[in-house]
Amino acid sequence: MSVDYDVIVIGAGNAGLSAAATLQRGGKRTLLVERHNVPGGAATSFVRGRFEFEVSLHQLGGMGGPGPLREILDEMDVTRRLRLIQDDELYRTVVPGVLDVTLPADWQGAVDVLDSHYPGNRAALTRFLEIVRDVGLWQLTARANLHRLKEQVEWLSGLSDVRRYGLRTYREVLDEFFTDERLKFVLSSYWSYNGQLPSRMSFMDMARLLALFIETKPYQIVGGSQALSSAMLESFLEAGGEVRFNTSVEKIVTRGGRAVGVRVDGGETVSCRLVVSNAPSSTTYTRLLDPADVPSGVLRDLGSRRMGPSATALYLGLDAPAAELGFATATNFLTTDLDERTVARGMRSLEPAPFLLASCYDVRPTGFAPPGASQVNLVTIQYADPWEAVPVRDYQQAKSAYAASLLDLLKAIAPGVRDVIEEAEIATPLTFKRYLSQPGGAIYGFDQDAMDSWLFHEDDLKPNVPGLVLVSNWVTAGGYNSTIVTAARLCRRLLAVL
Amino acid sequence: MSTSTNPLAHLFEGADDVVAEIERRGAAGADHPADAREEITPYHPKVLDLTVAEVVEETVTTKTFRVRRTDGRPLPPFLAGQYISLHVRVGDVLTSRAFSISSSPAALDHYDLTVRRLRGGRVSNHLIDTVKPGDRLTSGGPIGTFYHDPLFHGDDVVFLAGGSGVAPAMSMIRDIVDHGLSRRMTLLYGSRRADDIIFHDELDAVAREHRDITVHHVISDPGPDWTGEVGPLDAALISRLAGPLAGRMTYLCGPPGKYAYLVRQLESLGHPRRRIRLEANSVALPPPADPRWPAELDPEEQVTVTVRGRGSLRVPRGRPLLDALEDNGLRPEASCRSGECALCRVRVCSGEVFHAEEARLRASDRQFGFAHCCVAYPLTDLEIDF
Ligand SMILES: Cc1cc2nc3c(=O)[nH]c(=O)nc-3n(C[C@H](O)[C@H](O)[C@H](O)COP(=O)(O)OP(=O)(O)OC[C@H]3O[C@@H](n4cnc5c(N)ncnc54)[C@H](O)[C@@H]3O)c2cc1C
Ligand code: FES
Repeated sequence: MSVDYDVIVIGAGNAGLSAAATLQRGGKRTLLVERHNVPGGAATSFVRGRFEFEVSLHQLGGMGGPGPLREILDEMDVTRRLRLIQDDELYRTVVPGVLDVTLPADWQGAVDVLDSHYPGNRAALTRFLEIVRDVGLWQLTARANLHRLKEQVEWLSGLSDVRRYGLRTYREVLDEFFTDERLKFVLSSYWSYNGQLPSRMSFMDMARLLALFIETKPYQIVGGSQALSSAMLESFLEAGGEVRFNTSVEKIVTRGGRAVGVRVDGGETVSCRLVVSNAPSSTTYTRLLDPADVPSGVLRDLGSRRMGPSATALYLGLDAPAAELGFATATNFLTTDLDERTVARGMRSLEPAPFLLASCYDVRPTGFAPPGASQVNLVTIQYADPWEAVPVRDYQQAKSAYAASLLDLLKAIAPGVRDVIEEAEIATPLTFKRYLSQPGGAIYGFDQDAMDSWLFHEDDLKPNVPGLVLVSNWVTAGGYNSTIVTAARLCRRLLAVL
Repeated sequence: MSTSTNPLAHLFEGADDVVAEIERRGAAGADHPADAREEITPYHPKVLDLTVAEVVEETVTTKTFRVRRTDGRPLPPFLAGQYISLHVRVGDVLTSRAFSISSSPAALDHYDLTVRRLRGGRVSNHLIDTVKPGDRLTSGGPIGTFYHDPLFHGDDVVFLAGGSGVAPAMSMIRDIVDHGLSRRMTLLYGSRRADDIIFHDELDAVAREHRDITVHHVISDPGPDWTGEVGPLDAALISRLAGPLAGRMTYLCGPPGKYAYLVRQLESLGHPRRRIRLEANSVALPPPADPRWPAELDPEEQVTVTVRGRGSLRVPRGRPLLDALEDNGLRPEASCRSGECALCRVRVCSGEVFHAEEARLRASDRQFGFAHCCVAYPLTDLEIDF
């Protein structure tokens, strides 16, 4: 039976691009279909006036040393197309009037800094970060080697810390080692990179994030995430791949329960041997497919999962140099108080923002702001529901009010920002819904608590409907490293059987 | 444990609790939201189906078209200063043009589009000469970044308008009046002759009745009866009419050729560039007027543009790609047609394009070959894809 393509990839986000490039470079004739006129999904940028704005990338993990992302991008012939800048620091964490700590991207350095701020914790810190490192590196390694199960079981059997702490909440483990709430708070800063607060996030996931960024160092990309997604597209095209932009997949076509192609807007049907969907799981299984073609176990599993958070972002073009404004660190976490419940409330309401991540792209300039100016993103984690509840007519006003509260909070580290704003753009969960076609505007897929762990969802990466696999942050952890690496590895294995 | 659990999971303390919780959640069964696209439509409809309700002759050269949604539903909300892209068929060619909404954002039963004849302009003349009440039109949803942002624009603003550039200013003034906003606005409005002034009576009436609204008409070609201000609108006149500019956001909307001059005038008064905002409503310097245009390349000469999967066309170098494509029945998406919105982005697979100054490209676009075809001109034979 002749088919139009070996593979059709639906969606050119990080995961879709990674899958398409891997399959095409592996010799499969691949068509990539994207709704927008540009590759990247969340990995993109936009221009206002003299400024370019990074949409989603705060720190790129996995690129330093033999990092997992580095290995994949080398293999994909993408690294040489990029210019990377290493961040000097891991992050700065501030609670006005309570704490202000900057951590280096280095295990020992982190112990030293934290012990100098909170003396008497050196032994506990050393032991705690050792476990973080072990658990984090175990997870990064185990995911790459799942096909060698026997070996993995043996290895894990000997890792008693990993087994003991892995599934507990991050908060529980912090409480076991420390009493100083400020110290625990600083160590929890990366919660927003996963979207779950420390009392809901598993220790394993926070350990993975910390180990990723400390072991492989945080990076910025000159030209931002769009340079990365365009580079993946270029590699795909150079290998002979075909892409259709401005094209939406309306249905996955099945025959006898097997995915055999897609129907695009306009009605055309294109056939293939394998469909790879970068669209969200729920969209893929319940909209693109007829649920009758989907095994009931998969639908039940979808029902057990919770919609993950989205974000509200204020993109700022500032007519002043970063240093003058008070930005010495690229990544800054700011919170009004130490109580996790304050932030939890903020995620579900439009009360003044209690938390933000301020990324400054001009501590070491990525080229997004003209000389003497700087580009800063303020992002907070929020679910879509409080925004959905705002009547359409009041939406603009709600946006402005919320953005103003972000600026108020920012004053603690950069008091002069409001006076030098040249461009400002606000994105809410509704904006992310619009541009990413993600239900709930989710930026990391499902709620990533322990129940969402890959350990309990092997099927996520399996062809539950014959002829179809999914790649996206709905079937693996959110974030650049995870989505790109998981998609590439899955597709490498598929090359062997296709 | 469920079949989807990896055997490694068993080795973890607490794995049974996790599985039990997953099962509990599965039994409760969460419903996931509908398609993100459908949910977003009320905010950002892709296409509006419009009917012309009324045509008002504003001046000899200008008409206002009042359009309503054909199905009678309210139009989507917009911000004073935003525009819609109107889809129009002129002869055989389907094209589009951006028009600022001049009506008040307080009334969503209609949008007013105020159109002035442009000498030689295809679409403005077509609209003014042929469109009448009852006619059907389509457009995109409201879009654009030229509006008052309360976050940093302040509540004392200045607007320099020329010709039909008064349309967004009118909408902003109506917004202030209808919503009772505490915002002062000073409009310096340049027209050629007194009878060219659009919204003359309404502007003067609003200015009389509202302390916060000030309007100055500036005429460049005054007749004997004109007693008001006379252009050019230079630094001295701006300063005299508007007063000190410090801290006041200043909006510019008018003929594209005027922007560079006006920005210089404002800057000479010590006004920082960040407090000046322009509506980019067309290209100021089409080639070959642009000094960056390669002198050896004749803009009249034709090159071949190949569109992946859709054939080839012969196009003079000096014609914007978007227009050339539309001439040939191809319609990439487009909205602003002035380089800003990126909706007309195409991928240049081979060959070289020249971008007008106004093109708001991203750093990576040049490296990876993306173009805004509304302000891109084919320098060589091209292959493009969209
Ligand atoms: C504000 C924000 C901040 C973030 N910060 C970080 C960070 O600092 N570090 C980090 O690592 N991660 C961060 N992330 C998360 C990261 O961007 C995502 O996890 C990752 O990019 C997801 O990739 P994806 O391929 O799964 O999904 P997406 O990027 O959403 O890609 C899906 C693509 O599929 C297309 N598509 C969907 N349905 C169809 C269809 N039917 N037909 C055709 N096309 C379709 C969409 O248009 C889209 O292009 C952030 C995200 C956001 C929004
Ligand atoms: S139509 Fe807006 S950039 Fe071309």
